Amino acid sequence: MIITAKRDFQELMENIKNYKSFFLIGCSECAALCGTGGEPEMKAMKEALEAEGKKVTGAFVAKTGCQVLGTKVELKPFKDALAETECILVMSCGAGTQTAVELYEDKPVYPTNDTLFLGNMTRLQMFDERCSLCGKCILDKTGGICPVTACPKGLLNGPCGGTNEGKCEVSPDIECAWVRIYNRMKRINKLEDMREIAKPKDWSAHKKPMKLNIREKKEEAKK
Amino acid sequence: MSFKNAFDSGKFVVTAEVGPPKGTDIKEMLHHAEMLKGKLDAVNVTDNQSAVMRICSMAICKLLLDMGLEPILQMTCRDRNRIGLQSDLLGASVLGIKNVLCMTGDHPNAGDHKEAKPVYDVESVQLLGIVNSLNNGKDMMGNEMKGSTNFFQGAVVTPEANPVEPQLMKFEKKVKAGAKFFQTQAIYDIEKFKEFVKFARKFPVKILAGIVLLKSAGMANYMNKFVPGIRVPQDLIDEIKAAGKEGALDTGINIAARHIKQLQDEKICDGVHIMAIGAEDKVPAIMERAGLL
Repeated sequence: MIITAKRDFQELMENIKNYKSFFLIGCSECAALCGTGGEPEMKAMKEALEAEGKKVTGAFVAKTGCQVLGTKVELKPFKDALAETECILVMSCGAGTQTAVELYEDKPVYPTNDTLFLGNMTRLQMFDERCSLCGKCILDKTGGICPVTACPKGLLNGPCGGTNEGKCEVSPDIECAWVRIYNRMKRINKLEDMREIAKPKDWSAHKKPMKLNIREKKEEAKK
Repeated sequence: MSFKNAFDSGKFVVTAEVGPPKGTDIKEMLHHAEMLKGKLDAVNVTDNQSAVMRICSMAICKLLLDMGLEPILQMTCRDRNRIGLQSDLLGASVLGIKNVLCMTGDHPNAGDHKEAKPVYDVESVQLLGIVNSLNNGKDMMGNEMKGSTNFFQGAVVTPEANPVEPQLMKFEKKVKAGAKFFQTQAIYDIEKFKEFVKFARKFPVKILAGIVLLKSAGMANYMNKFVPGIRVPQDLIDEIKAAGKEGALDTGINIAARHIKQLQDEKICDGVHIMAIGAEDKVPAIMERAGLL
């Protein structure tokens, strides 16, 4: 899921100081699980804004804020509240924010969160980054542990000189990705695979902005 | 005699290090370089060491070359992508720089520009492969070049890394990728170092043992605590402590000289790389006491 964190409230207030009325859009998926854009956070945001003398014309937790069409349909009943508001605050990720930008071309839209990473939820409200969405998966060669993500340098050919008793030079809170990979490869009898030199990564596999049109591909296949 | 030829001649090879300063005042650095002139087989020029921004390695290499020293261009993958690295390698080649040390490079987190975007488009093993292809007249994509490089390329290794197995596997990869010589992380336990050399001797590469001058007991303790892959044994720390504050540096010089002498006398490795870290003016004294001058 996409991990988000609340932005500093004073910073947000500075951003929106020229507006008086707001409509809040949350998201029931990732942001709700991160505690940044579900019902309770939305209620708290409404109260905080009102305490600052702002008006909240309406609030809604979208089912999946990154779905543009779905969110558009869901927001139809809030037409009046949205027409009345000067500004929209999106309490999900950067993708959700840009859904609102696309749907409401004439309204200023502000994010209340910072979007951090694609995360695995290890326990309730605990998240780890394990995949960097690099566009060309190498997990088949690294025992299923991604060094592009787990190693701060994204090394592909083993640990650097900064590896230290299984920890990383960047922070003792980080496990050395390559010691993890080494231990895993040993356990699954794949250590020999680690001897193969990994070629420089093809970063063109993630050329921004990425796009995928499965529909077009299907139609082409039919022809 | 070039650095490469020094190895071929069978002599005990000695390298040291010059760190480019932050800022354009290079008087002190040139003074150190002048002191080292004629004493070393080559001198490393660090590449924004510890991720602290300084003068680029290539410019200083060229200055040293003009002074008559043989520079080793340290090249890290932290600050340049594959285009920048290759372009700089070609540039270094036409400036007459013959030796390059390929490293991944300390993370920006260690330095004075912590907000920098780390590059690491390629890393040490792949950079060695790149040097290899440039030496063979092609860029890393296989495109023909007009004129090839002729680098003598090396790499680094941490013999006391823990766990050591993945480090040794990477060492093998570096050999396979074309490394001709290795300069090691600081070593203080010669007996333990012999075990590493026994492994490394299976490969056709030259090994220079890393010698870091101990300037005080505090420095030794600090390195033990904070520098990965460095282990200063307690008896050495005690030896420096016993010398008192006044005698600490002198004892450190003695220890370095003693280790170098043992490495040479017992023919344990092909030479040493002396890192004086801020006390470059002490390198001649170390060499003298080791019987190298």
